[in-house]
Amino acid sequence: MQKPLLTLDTLPPGSNAKIVSISGSGGWVYRLYQMGLTPGTIVTVIVNYGAGPLVVRVRGVDISLGRGIARRIIVEPL
Amino acid sequence: MENNDTAKKEIVVGVAGQPNVGKSTLFNVLTGRRVHVANWPGVTVEKHEGIREYMGYRLRFIDLPGIYGFSATTIEEKIARRFILEEKPDVLLVLVDSINPERTMYLAIQALEMYTRVIIVFTKIDETHARGIHINYEALNRRLGVPVVAVSSATGQGINELLDKIVEVASSGGRRKPLRIDYGELEPFILSVEQVLEKNDSKIKYPIRWVSIRLLEGDRELEEYVRRMLGEKVLIDILKTREEIRRIFHRSPEELFAQKRFEYIEKLLRGVVVRVHVGITRRERITRYFYHPWLGPFLSIFTLIIVFLVAFSINTGFPLNVILADLGYPGLAEAVENYSLGGLIEAGFNALSNYLYSIMGESIISSLVINGIIGGVGAVAVFLPLIMMVAFFLAVLEDSGLSPRIAVSLHNWLTRIGVSGHAVFPMLLGFGCNVPAVMSTRAVPDPRERIRLIMTIPFIPCQARLVVILAFASALSGLSGALLILYGYVAAFIAFSLVNRSLYWIDKKRGRVSEPELLLELPPIHKPIPRVVWWHVWDSTKHFLKKAGTIIFLLSILIWFLTSYTPSLTYTGDPSQTIGAYLARLFAPFLYPIGLRGDQAWIIAFALIIGFVAKESVISALTITTGADTARDALRLLKLTDVQIASITVFMILYVPCMATLAVMLSETRSWKIVLASIGIMLSIAYVGMLFTYMIGLLL
Repeated sequence: MQKPLLTLDTLPPGSNAKIVSISGSGGWVYRLYQMGLTPGTIVTVIVNYGAGPLVVRVRGVDISLGRGIARRIIVEPL
Repeated sequence: MENNDTAKKEIVVGVAGQPNVGKSTLFNVLTGRRVHVANWPGVTVEKHEGIREYMGYRLRFIDLPGIYGFSATTIEEKIARRFILEEKPDVLLVLVDSINPERTMYLAIQALEMYTRVIIVFTKIDETHARGIHINYEALNRRLGVPVVAVSSATGQGINELLDKIVEVASSGGRRKPLRIDYGELEPFILSVEQVLEKNDSKIKYPIRWVSIRLLEGDRELEEYVRRMLGEKVLIDILKTREEIRRIFHRSPEELFAQKRFEYIEKLLRGVVVRVHVGITRRERITRYFYHPWLGPFLSIFTLIIVFLVAFSINTGFPLNVILADLGYPGLAEAVENYSLGGLIEAGFNALSNYLYSIMGESIISSLVINGIIGGVGAVAVFLPLIMMVAFFLAVLEDSGLSPRIAVSLHNWLTRIGVSGHAVFPMLLGFGCNVPAVMSTRAVPDPRERIRLIMTIPFIPCQARLVVILAFASALSGLSGALLILYGYVAAFIAFSLVNRSLYWIDKKRGRVSEPELLLELPPIHKPIPRVVWWHVWDSTKHFLKKAGTIIFLLSILIWFLTSYTPSLTYTGDPSQTIGAYLARLFAPFLYPIGLRGDQAWIIAFALIIGFVAKESVISALTITTGADTARDALRLLKLTDVQIASITVFMILYVPCMATLAVMLSETRSWKIVLASIGIMLSIAYVGMLFTYMIGLLL
């Protein structure tokens, strides 16, 4: 059974998830790809206080994401 | 013959890498800091070139801008790509961060897809063991077919091996063909584009497979190239193939290609990079507090305030002198002030002036040298230690990785004035100098946010203005001086916030904005490397000395001339009869509302006009016109009230930064409209601020 899909901003700190897709378009999405946030990638949420930017670890690098961007990243919790 | 020989032995080495991989540090180590700085043709992006002699070769290193990929979506990417493809360096170094090879390898892989004479350089290897990272460079070398060298700029490890490899690759020629990645189900599409292009093989001077892949990913520059070389029809065929991918896979081609590349990297590094879990280090745990919703901003602002207070104290004695005086130790307070670095330099220049007077006597020449040049340059040179100190702290914040954390912590607050955490670094730099601050806005991803920042960064008091603020504050008694400095910064902060907020609101009305967003890499926290910090300090010191030696030197002579000669070009000891006075009197009426009259009005107006070129010269203008040694004495001679001094300070902080900043604003925005609008906004805000301060001051 497949777990339900969520957006990245809803995940609690310490959780892992797999990126399913990124909605929207434009420079942001391209930058996300280049920084290694491509579909299929595992992300670990390091910081999420429910408000303000998140910090996630992707391919060994800590990246800070604004909430608006995180909301556009669809993930499958692991 | 001799010349011919040296020309033959030159090896051109391009240095490429993603941001934060330690590129500029390695570049400086490789070149020994014998670096020539110019601009890349047609743009204001700096091009650093450095030479190193090695084994009878002349290695010419060219630092390429820090980029995430070679897609040509940003100016930096275009520059780097053009350099590699057009100038074909003998060797291309692509830097990979040993601490996160999985991500930073992305650029190296892209480089290998388009170029053959590549050396992969793993940086920061001194830090890998502490983090439990082990990398098998030999295996990687075998898998990629290019040299892989591990270096540490901090310890110097691997540098000689790297230089050997550079010579080796330059003579042997690297891989025979560019790297070929298996793109799986995308291969048929690549093949079909390749076939179209191969028919015109002779006309395409770049690797065909690379061009095909890039075209499928969507690449404006190459599309234009194909259209020019092969005609519209060929391009349309290729773009059709691209649309086909989108239709079949229901995903954008650039996403698919990026994903494939990362999958390739994963496979490549499997068994090559081994991570032993070492847990979170204490340093990292501390920095986590920066992410806390209210603790973070508090920590950040606290850190910044401490930085400025320490820098001020060491240099000017302020605010330590005020505190000591208030505690009832006036003697100690005075000592702190006199023996601060600024105080010592001031004493030195005074002694020099007195000595020159004693040997030169009273003449036009001695007036030029002593009042003009020494008076002007000296009054500014006093602040050299301050400039070094602030540069030092900014370098430490940057090199330690603390500044991106500050950016994250302040992001939420900043969104209220319509900018994101990306604004933090330009803002911090702005306290040093507005010129690099405006340039650093390039890292802000949202173009509208960037324009708004460029227009508002000039409100941030740079060190030149700090110098003037401190000089004005020194004319007030103890605590009022301290309050003036605080008030000046608060005024600047309010102007910055208000104007940003308003510009954001206007953009929003026009439907041109989205919410400010943050997307920022957080490099691991580490101890700053002293050498790197020193480089930063030396760079800004050099910049300041150059300015003091040229612009301020020339302006000092000009000011001396304007305030020593009458319009009929005869020398006079009475400044009020001079050319400068006549010019400044035209503007003096603007200062009547704050109660300035006669000499007061034109001298201040004159200083502010001069300050338009470079802010430090406000002080020189004051000392030279009044004949005083320091700004403090000059303001006392003018008999300005405290409230008037405060009003002028506010105006001085907020009106047009300086010519250099305006020039950079123009070159970054390429729009006179934006620059003129900024000047208009700054002048009006400054004037309103001045009047407001005067009225409030009278009420108190």
